[in-house]
Amino acid sequence: MRQAIQTDRLALNRRHWMIFFTIFAAVFLALVVIGGTFLNPERIATNFQEKNLAPSLHHLFGTDWLGRDMFSRTVMGLSLSIKVGLIGAIGSTFIAVSLGMIAATMGKAADRIVSWLIDLFLSVPHLVALILIAFTLGGGFKGVVFGLMLTHWPSLARVIRAEVMQVRSSEYVKISKRMGKSSVWIAAHHIFPHLLPQMIIGFLLLFPHVILHEAAVTFIGLGLSPHEPAIGVILSESMKYLSSGMWWLAFFPGLSLLLIVRIFDWVGENIRILADPTKAHE
Amino acid sequence: MNKKRIGFMILFSFMLAIVLAGCSSKSNPAKESKDQDNSKPKDELVLSFGSEPATGFDPTTGWGRYGSPLFQSTLLKRDDDLKIVNDLATDYEVSEDGKVWTVVIRDDVKFSDGEPLTAEDVKFTFETAAENGSVVDLNVIEKIEVVNDTTIQFTLKEVQSTFVNSLVATGIVPKHAYTKDYAENPIGSGPFQFVQWDKGQQLIVEANPNYYGKEPYFKKITFLFLSEDAGLAAAKAGTVDFVAVPAAFADTKVPGMTLKSVKTVDNRGIVFPYVPSGEQTEDGLPIGNDVTADPAIRQAINIALDRQALVDGVLGGYGSPAYTSVDGLPWWNPDTVIEDGDLEAARKLLEDAGWKDIDGDGILEKDNLKAEFSLYYTADDAVRQSLTIAVADMLKPLGISVKVEGASWDVIAQKMFSEPVLMGWGSHDPHEMYNIYGGANAGVDWYNTGYYKNETVDDYFAKALQARSEEEALEFWKKAQWDGTTGLSAKGDAPWAWLVNIDHLYFVKDGLDIGKQRIHVHGHGWPATDNIADWKWSQ
Repeated sequence: MRQAIQTDRLALNRRHWMIFFTIFAAVFLALVVIGGTFLNPERIATNFQEKNLAPSLHHLFGTDWLGRDMFSRTVMGLSLSIKVGLIGAIGSTFIAVSLGMIAATMGKAADRIVSWLIDLFLSVPHLVALILIAFTLGGGFKGVVFGLMLTHWPSLARVIRAEVMQVRSSEYVKISKRMGKSSVWIAAHHIFPHLLPQMIIGFLLLFPHVILHEAAVTFIGLGLSPHEPAIGVILSESMKYLSSGMWWLAFFPGLSLLLIVRIFDWVGENIRILADPTKAHE
Repeated sequence: MNKKRIGFMILFSFMLAIVLAGCSSKSNPAKESKDQDNSKPKDELVLSFGSEPATGFDPTTGWGRYGSPLFQSTLLKRDDDLKIVNDLATDYEVSEDGKVWTVVIRDDVKFSDGEPLTAEDVKFTFETAAENGSVVDLNVIEKIEVVNDTTIQFTLKEVQSTFVNSLVATGIVPKHAYTKDYAENPIGSGPFQFVQWDKGQQLIVEANPNYYGKEPYFKKITFLFLSEDAGLAAAKAGTVDFVAVPAAFADTKVPGMTLKSVKTVDNRGIVFPYVPSGEQTEDGLPIGNDVTADPAIRQAINIALDRQALVDGVLGGYGSPAYTSVDGLPWWNPDTVIEDGDLEAARKLLEDAGWKDIDGDGILEKDNLKAEFSLYYTADDAVRQSLTIAVADMLKPLGISVKVEGASWDVIAQKMFSEPVLMGWGSHDPHEMYNIYGGANAGVDWYNTGYYKNETVDDYFAKALQARSEEEALEFWKKAQWDGTTGLSAKGDAPWAWLVNIDHLYFVKDGLDIGKQRIHVHGHGWPATDNIADWKWSQ
């Protein structure tokens, strides 16, 4: 009897723990963004007296060939990546929701066009489409952000489209219609509340994807200026110094990127489980 | 059980033997590479350069401007002290008015295909080059006349003492064998003849048996076009005798090879827009920058920069501070060297000129104008990037805010008339100074992008160009830099802030004598071949 209560309590707690850790992870991510934004730029000033230093207590991630503190550069780079990721993911989600709604509500022709667009974008590898778009827009911050926005929406758009179609064909919506509710009212009261969790989760799961692609594009030199503290830039320039034994230039920034992406993925996954009513009792 | 143990022991001793063998061969690399030397014929040489001449080996489109033309020979050449001496020519004469150049050439010269080289070939070469026009600027030639088989006369539109450099730099091509694919299959009268060119991989040449000059020591030379990493790997493997490397590899130890650094005028500096903003080019690009138009800003930057720190920090010590575009060349004026790294003096200069930090944000102001500008550099060049970042950080304590911008040359071409740009020059031709500082070249191509103009300097340029010989012109080239009151150097108008001359670094196989290397020009690798006919094994 006592045993049963105990497991019961633990099962309840698991959900709590999950919430707790998710909040903790979210705070950590927020700290990275805030840290990167408000970190004194003096910290990445060149300092020839302290160049090429291995990691130490004073320089946690070591210094580069210009004596810049790699920890500060990494945090700034991650912060920039997260910000770019945020804009990219919001834009992508917006496009996905708009196109998903259009496909599901505006008739057969619209559906066919949107489905064709989705298929088209899914058939081209993300990175290739991203490079093409970023290149056409002249590279730079603008090129990368627009490239990310315009390439990451298709899978989410497909989910939204299916969801809207399903809700629209459900009985309560039909009843609503018969009772004379306007389509705007139906959209606001019946469809939108169903879409919201899909949107939020879709957005969160897009995020790590977008960040990795941002790093990839800046790595090959298409994105930002090579002196900007973007994580892809840091990684690509560190390649030149690997043969002279400066492993810390690539190791810590790479590890940090991996960590950030994993945390995002994990937060998104957790929220999906927490939000999913069928898994509420797990 | 016992059998198993014996098996283990055999295995173990076998492994130990392998490990020990590995150690011993590693500990004696010098011996190994010497063995390799012996296996290769002594009169063959393998060089590795990072870049190949993409347009081929046609002197009329620019081949041979940097380094030896290998396959062709020139009318005149520079010796190891950069003095002009005869090559194909036996004599040359400039008329009283300086407009007619008469060159007499040797009568015993044959191209590598056996045909004799005559004045007709010289005429053909210069006419073709003038027609091609792209890299080689021969606009000044009015006409070329063949007087007889060995005499040729150039008539110039205007007097130009630097025309002699065209005679130094232009290899003579054969009129009878000049076809469309000449650039890929050159024939000439130079010390070497063409064997094979695999684009992007290698160029093979062998000694020209018809060469009239000193026979080169090496009978066969292979030029490999390897990336920096691959070049270093090849050097470590002992397969190349000479390899050009970037400063980042300077500390690497390569068994059997020694690092050789060569002084250069391969310089880097910042070109400032010299005029206030407002004007536009014909294409509608903005000209001028109000901040850098203030001489106090330009001079203060020149004084505040610690050039030696840049050399030590960015170039790892392999370079020298630069004060003009011609440091160390015969037409350089040593008075242009200034005391730098002096923040206090720079601060005072700015204060006297009315620049003060009124709102306390760390950036100086003058009449509502903030002391800030963007500094552009080519994004794919790590050295330029490092220099730009370091310069921005050096100027911060002075109260000048520099926004670093990495961009492609296409973007820079849009911005270079209105924003400072990090550029590099360096040539054995004093005409380059006229190109980048002459008022007439403002906004022409990549020359004088800052629209610098100083009547006195232009006057010296005119005098230098009108001189009858290079020696006579030297004085005026020097005065153009600094004549005691004005000039184009940092002491005068300071339209540039020169930063560093980048040493060229090579790993040279021990025992290979690469002669006396002249001060190298812009462009890595090929300048080293200038005296390649003199290279030899010293033991």
